[in-house]
Parts: sequence; structure tokens; C-alpha cells
Amino acid sequence: MSCYHLSRLLFDLKMSEAVYQRSLKDFEAVIADYDLSAEEQDALRSGDPRKLRQLGVHGMLCLYIKRLNPEFRDNIYWQQK
Amino acid sequence: MPLVSALAASHAPNILLEPGREWEDFMNLHYSMAPQGSASRPTLEKQKKLRQDAEQAFAVLRADLEEAKPDVLIVVANDQFVNFFWNNIPTFFVTTADEVEGQFTRHHFHYRNHKDLGKAIVRAGMDKGIDFSFGEHIELQHTQNVPLYFLLREPRIPILPIYVNTWVDPAPSPRRCYQVGELIREVADNSKERVAILATGGLSHFPGSPRIGEIDESFDHKLLEVMRHGKGRSLVDYSVQDLLQAGDTEFLNWMVVIGAVGDAKAAYTAYMPDVVATGWGFVSWKL
Repeated sequence: MSCYHLSRLLFDLKMSEAVYQRSLKDFEAVIADYDLSAEEQDALRSGDPRKLRQLGVHGMLCLYIKRLNPEFRDNIYWQQK
Repeated sequence: MPLVSALAASHAPNILLEPGREWEDFMNLHYSMAPQGSASRPTLEKQKKLRQDAEQAFAVLRADLEEAKPDVLIVVANDQFVNFFWNNIPTFFVTTADEVEGQFTRHHFHYRNHKDLGKAIVRAGMDKGIDFSFGEHIELQHTQNVPLYFLLREPRIPILPIYVNTWVDPAPSPRRCYQVGELIREVADNSKERVAILATGGLSHFPGSPRIGEIDESFDHKLLEVMRHGKGRSLVDYSVQDLLQAGDTEFLNWMVVIGAVGDAKAAYTAYMPDVVATGWGFVSWKL
């Protein structure tokens, strides 16, 4: 089963400032914009990259969920690509 | 002019991040995939020593590059979901933009792109059965910016980014990458300009994997020994799976340069596992 749309959301979270800012305000609304299964939505809500990886997402894309975690928002990693 | 210089160097972001808080940020993020990796964090003193050692290795490579007086530097690297996503993953991609730029924390990078050389490589490939993807816009990322910071901080000459898909399955074979390098060598040898080539990436590391923090040092040492003996051609028999198991898929970028240098012996090699995630490797061939 492809996890294209789940991967796309995570990619946009890193690459699109607009998607990132919207996600900070209302992540549920952003999730609703993507064609995701209930299991994929739950994995996103968990904020745990390991759960995303179990669904087949590339490991580096999984890490991008941490951008929404308050402890990681100022991480230097987001200032480079 | 023939190919005048060939180099290979790691592009691990922490090489260019500042020891201390920035390294801690980098480790905190990566170890969220594998908390056990956190057990081996290097001390601040060790981080500073690694940075110093990397700077010394890059200084050797930079001196060799400057001595060769190149007119252009080809940079063979992989994308990491910056320019390419699952809607289109090129196996080999040649940049045909006029200019290329990108950002790494405080550092901005902006170079002229040698699109004529790029087009010559694409055309030569079509004649020889290697059909490159190509395109007029890319954003430079750490896979190019980290080594460029140390090797070509001032944009004195144009660069030519070439991408290899080392990043997602299925990746090209080491043999195919070697053939791409042979083709680039042929184009360079027919050029009126002095061409240098740099491969980036590696060596052993497992980004985004539960194995993050493991470094297959013995595999890396074997690769470097082969290069010192000018036996890089023998590496074409490795499978992608062999490289994957050792955390060395980015070595496919290096295989392109190994194809370009043929049987030349590496004049300089250096290796320093960073304890965090990556076996940092550095090689220069004097051609």
C-alpha cells in the first residue's frame, strides 16, 4: 500500500512554510487536506517518527513530524536542507 | 583538457554545524528515531576535535583542487527530498540551470552553473545509452553545501551539480554509477576547459533508521584501501544491497568519481567516525 499522501504531508511540513504555519495553528485541518487512512492520521497525531516509519514512510521524512513538537521547533535542523 | 582533479568528501550536516548546541540539536532529532543511539554522544571536546580534523582534511583537498586550477567543478551528490519527491525520482539528473543557490544555517551559497558542460554530458549519454534526466532549477542542499563551504566558499568558478539516486529504493548499481563516471571522464577529456569532479556523501551511516548511530568502520576502511591501491574498478561487483547493509548507499556518488578516475591511485585518504552517526571520509586523486 502506497503512503504517498502521508509522505507528501511530511514533505510539505519541512519544505512549505505555509503548511508548517497552518499546522501549528490547526493540524487537524491540514490532515483533512490529504487523502489519509485513519491509521495514518493516528500516526501523525502521535508525533512519533517510529510509528510513521512502520507505515512505510522514508525514515528522513518521518523525522519531519518533530517540527511540530514544541521541544524541537527551534532545532537548527530546520535551518538547513 | 583532461580531467584535472578528483575529490570525494562526506557531507554530514554536523561537519558544518557548530559544536555544542547545534550538534546537540542534530543528535536530539536523529536519536528520536532510535533512542539507544543517544548513549554514545560525543563530548563537546570531542566534537571540537572532530571539526578540527575535518577542517584539516578539507584543507588538503582544497589545496589539491586549487593546484589543479580547474575552470569548473562537477559536484556529484544525492538529493534528500529537497528537489525530488515520490512523484518523480530521477536515477541520474544533470543540472542545466544558469545559476544555483541554497542556504545552510547562516551560510548562503550561490554559483554559476556550467550548463554547457551539463548539456554535453546529457548529449554524450544519449549517444552511449545513458539517458540522464535534466532540468533548469535545483536548490542546493547540505549534500552540496557542506563540502562546498570548505572547498569553494568563494564562487570563483562555476559548478555543475549532478544527482544520483542513492536515497530511495531502487537505486542504480555501483557498476552503472561507474559507467556514468567513465562517460563524464570522456566528456571532460574532450572539453577545452579544465574539469574537476567532487563526490559527496557517506561513508557508513543510517539516517532516519533505527540503526542510526551505527558506523560500519571496517567496510569503510576496506573501501578506502581499495581506492589507495587504484582498484576502484573492482567495486563494481558490489550490489546495492551490500552497500545498504553497511550504510554506504551514498558511496554510489563516489562510484561515479571512481569511474572517472579509472585506475588512478588515491593520493590522500582520511577517515574519522564522528561517533554521532557517520564515518566521515575524504579522498583526493591527483590526475
